[in-house]
Amino acid sequence: MPISTFMGLHTSLRGLLAEQRALDVTSHNIANANTLGYSRQEAQLQATDALFEAGSGQLGTGVDVMAYKRIRDSFLDLQYRTQAMQVGAGTTRAGALDQAELRLGEPGDNGIAARLNSFWSSWSDFANTPDSGAARQSLIGDATTLASAVNALDDSLQTVAGQAAAKLAALTGAGGELQQIAGELAGINGAIRDAQSVGSQPNDLFDRRDLLLDKLAGFAQVSVVGDGAGSIRVTLGGAAAPLVDGATLTWPPPAMTSPGGTIGALMDLSSPTGTLASYRGEIATFAQALTTQVNAIYQPAAAADFFAYDAGTARLSVNPAVTAATVRAGAGAAGDNSAAIALSELRGKSGGPDDLYARLVTRIGTEVADARRGASNANVLSNSIEDRRQSAAGVSLDEEMTNLIRFQRGYQAAARAMSATDMLLDTLINRTGRVGL
Amino acid sequence: MTSPRITTSMISRNVLADLNDVSARMSETQRKMATGKELTRPSDDPFAVGRALALRTELEGVGQYRRNAAEAEGWTAASDTALGAVTDIAQRARELLLRGANGTASSSQRAAIAEEIDQLVDAAKQDANATHAGRSLFAGTATDVKPYNMASDAYAGDGGDIARSIGPGVSVVVNVRGSDTLGNGADGKLLNVLRDIAAHLRGGTPADQAALTSTDIVAIDRSIDDLLGMRAQIGATANRLSAADDRLAELEEGVRGLLSKTEDADMAATLIDYSTQQAVYQSALRAGAGIVQASLLDFLR
Repeated sequence: MPISTFMGLHTSLRGLLAEQRALDVTSHNIANANTLGYSRQEAQLQATDALFEAGSGQLGTGVDVMAYKRIRDSFLDLQYRTQAMQVGAGTTRAGALDQAELRLGEPGDNGIAARLNSFWSSWSDFANTPDSGAARQSLIGDATTLASAVNALDDSLQTVAGQAAAKLAALTGAGGELQQIAGELAGINGAIRDAQSVGSQPNDLFDRRDLLLDKLAGFAQVSVVGDGAGSIRVTLGGAAAPLVDGATLTWPPPAMTSPGGTIGALMDLSSPTGTLASYRGEIATFAQALTTQVNAIYQPAAAADFFAYDAGTARLSVNPAVTAATVRAGAGAAGDNSAAIALSELRGKSGGPDDLYARLVTRIGTEVADARRGASNANVLSNSIEDRRQSAAGVSLDEEMTNLIRFQRGYQAAARAMSATDMLLDTLINRTGRVGL
Repeated sequence: MTSPRITTSMISRNVLADLNDVSARMSETQRKMATGKELTRPSDDPFAVGRALALRTELEGVGQYRRNAAEAEGWTAASDTALGAVTDIAQRARELLLRGANGTASSSQRAAIAEEIDQLVDAAKQDANATHAGRSLFAGTATDVKPYNMASDAYAGDGGDIARSIGPGVSVVVNVRGSDTLGNGADGKLLNVLRDIAAHLRGGTPADQAALTSTDIVAIDRSIDDLLGMRAQIGATANRLSAADDRLAELEEGVRGLLSKTEDADMAATLIDYSTQQAVYQSALRAGAGIVQASLLDFLR
């Protein structure tokens, strides 16, 4: 088959067009160098089908863009999402426990440990001067302050748990961030399916969907299954039914069995069996022990309880019948201080109130330190995975600059080739057969 | 092997993360320097904070024991002074007895001596009514009651002990009861002895005379011995208290040292940390500024 004279022009044209597309893709990459979740793209060039020339073989016909490829490693996405869940859980837990720790005010002059010390010292001073109005007044004052400090600590832990519950409701409630993200995911799923049904690769939609999944992974454990037609099914927190299936959103979200992430941490913090609740339980144990141990000594001497603890409302109080006027240092005469001495010796007793309280402080301290370490480890890991992800999918400006030059030169050269063909044709058309003219 | 692709956002993200890291460490060090404490929150070192709480409790307890001991020393000193006065009175009564027992004394002289001994009884009761900070020293635990009134020789206090706690589980009884020294009515103790002497001096019978030279002398000597014995006991208590105070002072010093070691920052080390971190921060800033700015763009024409 003879080959067209104008063949060279077309070959050059294909080169021009392909280089231009590649330049366009480079521009797109540069424009999105700082876009969150963007994966760099690449114009995949391929030589077009050759022409067969009898006797000499195949003649190349130029180049064409086969596809615009999105460069991304979906395996790293899975790893990233696992870590994002840990980061979400760790950060939320560490933040809330931090609050709890702050409310303890230990070690310091205003914590319960200092109040206990003043309380025991007051009993000692009272033992030394059982008839002194000042010693009585200061004992009742210290006891009242101690009781209100214990109640205030319990209140503030309840407040922290309440804040966690409010955050959880805001996140997972109607119109919350979870619903927005899930809704957007369902929308993008539909758009991707439509685009793929006409054979196109919606790269930027994929990026947006992956970014939403990253965010979702911070909230709870996410499992993603593709349906082979571009759509995905997203299950959240080990629920039995998917949250998003293709373009369908299930709202309210199906019950999660192992939420993890921010939602899991908030659930634990606000739960009546969660971490904060168990701290409150230890405070109750401490207050109960304080009440029992003090009353056990005070009751026989004064025929009245000193402290009262109501487990239902978690309130510690000084028995209203015990006042500066009625408080007693011993059962006997005015100078009998045997009960006051015995009470002052509860200070620092093994298994006594100081001991129980120090145990609580150590426990909270350990758990806060653990939570903080966990959050920071998850952060380091997720950063390193994000680095690897960026290494594959991120835009390198140096690389794009190099590509820019490459494709620009390619374009220039294709134009030059076209000019050369043009000159050949000029010779052929305008100068051939004019001998003697 | 190819080196990994380093992209623009990786560089800026890492530079930022590293700077954050160094600043966080610097702020931690700054906090240590400002508070002088190694531990400001339980999570800094949970175990050490638990230990610091226990040490602080112990320190407060030791301080309180020292205050208790000081208070008890005040009590024993006052008791000793009062008993000293009573002893002087007993000695004076013994001298008077010897003078009155002398056969040459006339009955009017004896009556005068008996009068003086009656006065001594009142003086002894007054001394036994001594108080420390408003509390009766010799009335047992009935510190709000005067142990003796002038109308009778009966003891109005009780038999209770007054204790001061000077260590974990260590209490010291600091009081001496009036009933053990001066006595309670006709029980052969000091007041009873003095009353007998006065009666014998006034009586003038040969039997009275005989009693003055025999049983009364023995009785007053025994009373003086009792008083001296009581004072020795109080002296021993005072010694015990002062020894306890010395021991407690040493203990306080030791616990304070331990507490400081547990919760106070090592200033020299902290300052060195701070300068190191400052240097690291500055070089991180410099390197970051250089890396983030440089790009192929700067060199393309």
